[in-house]
Amino acid sequence: MARRTSQRAAMCVAAAATAAALALAACGRSATGGGTTGNLSPTKGLVVTTPTGTKPVSSVTWAVYRDVNSLDPIFAFDYPENTAVSLMCESLLKQAPTGAIGPGLATLSTPSLTTMVFTINKAAKFWDGKPVTPADVVYSLDRNRNTSLGGFYGLVFSRVASIAATGADQVTITLKQPDYWLPGELASMPGVVIEKAFAQKEGKKYGTPSGSIMCTGAYKLKSFTPGVGVSAVPSPNYWQPSVKPLVSSILLKGVASDTSLTSGLTTNAIQGTYTSGGLSTLPQLESSGAVKIYRGQGWSTDAFIVSSTKGVLGDVRVREALSMALNRNAIISNVFKGAALMPRWLANPGVFGYGKPAFDKAYSASPLLPHNLARAKQLVKAAGAVGKTFTIGTSSQIANIAQETGAYEAAANAIGLKTVLKSVSAQNYINFFIDPKARTGIDGFLTVNYGDYADPAALLATLVLPGGSQNYDNFNDPKIISLLGQARSTADPNARAALVAKAEERAAAELPWIPDVQPVNLLIMTKGLTGATASFAYMFAPWANNLGGS
Amino acid sequence: MRLAFIARRLAMLAASLLVASFVIFGALYLAPGNPIAALSGGRSLPPSSLKILEARYHLNQSFLAQYWYWLSNAVHGNLGISITLRENVTTLIASRIWTTAGLVLYASLIILVLGIGMGLIGGLRPGLLDTSVLVSSAVSAAIPSFVAAIVLITLFAVKLRWFPALGNGTDLASNLRHFTLPAFALALSSLAIVARVTRSAIREEADREHVQTAVSRGIPRRQLVRRHILRNAAIPITTISGITIASLIAVAAVVETAFSMNGLGAYLVTSAQDKDLAVVQGISLVLVTAFVVINVAVDLAYAVLDPRVALGSRAT
Repeated sequence: MARRTSQRAAMCVAAAATAAALALAACGRSATGGGTTGNLSPTKGLVVTTPTGTKPVSSVTWAVYRDVNSLDPIFAFDYPENTAVSLMCESLLKQAPTGAIGPGLATLSTPSLTTMVFTINKAAKFWDGKPVTPADVVYSLDRNRNTSLGGFYGLVFSRVASIAATGADQVTITLKQPDYWLPGELASMPGVVIEKAFAQKEGKKYGTPSGSIMCTGAYKLKSFTPGVGVSAVPSPNYWQPSVKPLVSSILLKGVASDTSLTSGLTTNAIQGTYTSGGLSTLPQLESSGAVKIYRGQGWSTDAFIVSSTKGVLGDVRVREALSMALNRNAIISNVFKGAALMPRWLANPGVFGYGKPAFDKAYSASPLLPHNLARAKQLVKAAGAVGKTFTIGTSSQIANIAQETGAYEAAANAIGLKTVLKSVSAQNYINFFIDPKARTGIDGFLTVNYGDYADPAALLATLVLPGGSQNYDNFNDPKIISLLGQARSTADPNARAALVAKAEERAAAELPWIPDVQPVNLLIMTKGLTGATASFAYMFAPWANNLGGS
Repeated sequence: MRLAFIARRLAMLAASLLVASFVIFGALYLAPGNPIAALSGGRSLPPSSLKILEARYHLNQSFLAQYWYWLSNAVHGNLGISITLRENVTTLIASRIWTTAGLVLYASLIILVLGIGMGLIGGLRPGLLDTSVLVSSAVSAAIPSFVAAIVLITLFAVKLRWFPALGNGTDLASNLRHFTLPAFALALSSLAIVARVTRSAIREEADREHVQTAVSRGIPRRQLVRRHILRNAAIPITTISGITIASLIAVAAVVETAFSMNGLGAYLVTSAQDKDLAVVQGISLVLVTAFVVINVAVDLAYAVLDPRVALGSRAT
């Protein structure tokens, strides 16, 4: 039941003056492509990789939206930490740039529905040359489950009965119930393998600035200095001979605002970055000629969370009307500067990491969420909601959130609803997600949200299942619950995808959250640099193994 | 006399630190939000993990108990551990203090040299020069640091490529290059104030009776300016320079953020947002100390400049 609440990413976006009126119509249109033609790929035009680098590069400074806080995977929960850990560390299974889950440090076999056997690759070794052993794997996974460490991924292992070394190169996970969501998690931060002896020696200092880490990736940690950044260099002991790291030194540096990021990229003080939260300076970067911008498959969803169904939003007709009145094209062009897609489901179509034929077929058959003011007005009338008020939790300090709140106000007013805003400071916006008191009196608020692996269910489960971490008002739809429950226990990827697709279709009708737009994952690199993963998979698997000069 | 003065000032420093630490601790305690929540990014943790984390950082205790715990450690030189970085606050501050110190020092030099220089020119050379000093200081006084930062970056980093747009630099030469734009962004509005006060102080002194008498007695202009005008104008100039330089410490946060420098000010802001109490407390202590020290230095300067001023009493 892992999930991310990436409202922090939205917060990082500086309140720099955005020329909201200058809608880049061309970008907006190309981004909304797909139309209603059934046989087009829903992510047409988006890439997952970039051409492999061929030339050595002496140093690269890579921007993240704030400084990295920890290099311990059990505490990696947000963009900067994930980017740092996935640069240097590897997990049991691996998410390809497409999101497909394949062998990582180990290969998975499932002799029974409740048994997962991981066979460790014999070549796999840590930076210090020591081989990866079953003891290392069991130790690494158990750290997530050890509540005294305070890691963030304990709940991921809720269906796990035991994790044990069962052979010289084998680890077996025994489940209480079948769990086909666990492999995705083990291809993400909870599956990262670290060296047991090293971690025990480091103790509490593991992954802190004064401590160190021991992983298996192609790049190894050189230094971690708060305020300066995380510096990584090629590991001479890397176990996969086909991978040749070409960058002599990569520095991950926290850059707080869009303006700093943009001036850094155009003056070559920064050579690369990922962003998917809506970059206000994208047009300047596009026209500067200093950088190449790749539009990668995104996994995140920009949505309006309906946090209370006590009010007028408790009526599905009102939610549907609001969705119909929302000007999504304006959000795409003004907030995302074209770098987002029109939604059909809550899930971003970039997350179809398995059962792709089944997902693509179902997704293409689903309509774009419609825009229809006349119908929306009828719905509000039918619901007897004309003139009624709902309250949006927002922050005028977070430019993107404020703009989207404006779009919702406009939508509500256009269909005879009234809105009240409750604005909080940027740093308190997080409280809407975590503090029931902060949500009191609020009917909903905006978010950009994503799951840990490429599966629409990863995000959906958090908001529709009873007890889900983002199910704020006991949303309880027996059909969706049953579909997701079946999916979690279904081995066949296509069959599982078909079940999840049905759950998504129903969620798009029931609207527990109202999907706004589907952000594209932007990869921005200075000219001459190439090879980084372009899709959102960079958050969970090594993204710089092919990075180099062109 | 001097020893007594310093002892008195040290006692005042200790009292300021105690009061400031209590007020800041209290304010952060009362502010909404929860450090554990900020730490986990809103990810829901099992209650058992929450309990352990709260106990680790003493968050489960009462306000006074938490403050007492922090204070007794601080007195022993242990400023505690950052919740977000799981690292000693002393280490974290030490790695950043030179950025802020360097920035404030560089900006102070700019303010003293350019600000007083402009004020002297304006005060002693009425006419076109004076008018241009007045106009340029009026403009630059109106530009807040964050606007100055954006303008300087756009012009000198992005367009002209003379200076880097962000970061600290690695060695002394590159440090100087990296610090130049931030130092000017920081100094600009204070510089204007110092220039204006200097100018009016000099004008005032120049109109005084004893100066007019000296002029009528034919004392050479150089000597006149140095001994009769500057010496007397030095007190208000020192006062305003001291105040503006001390205030730079607070404004540095804005500039550090704009230029992505790893200074204490920017760190204070992010730590306060994350409710990382120990870090906020630690940095505040450093900043309060610096503020008090600068004021003591200004007081000492008064005594040197004007023997009639007794140490510890404010000159006017």
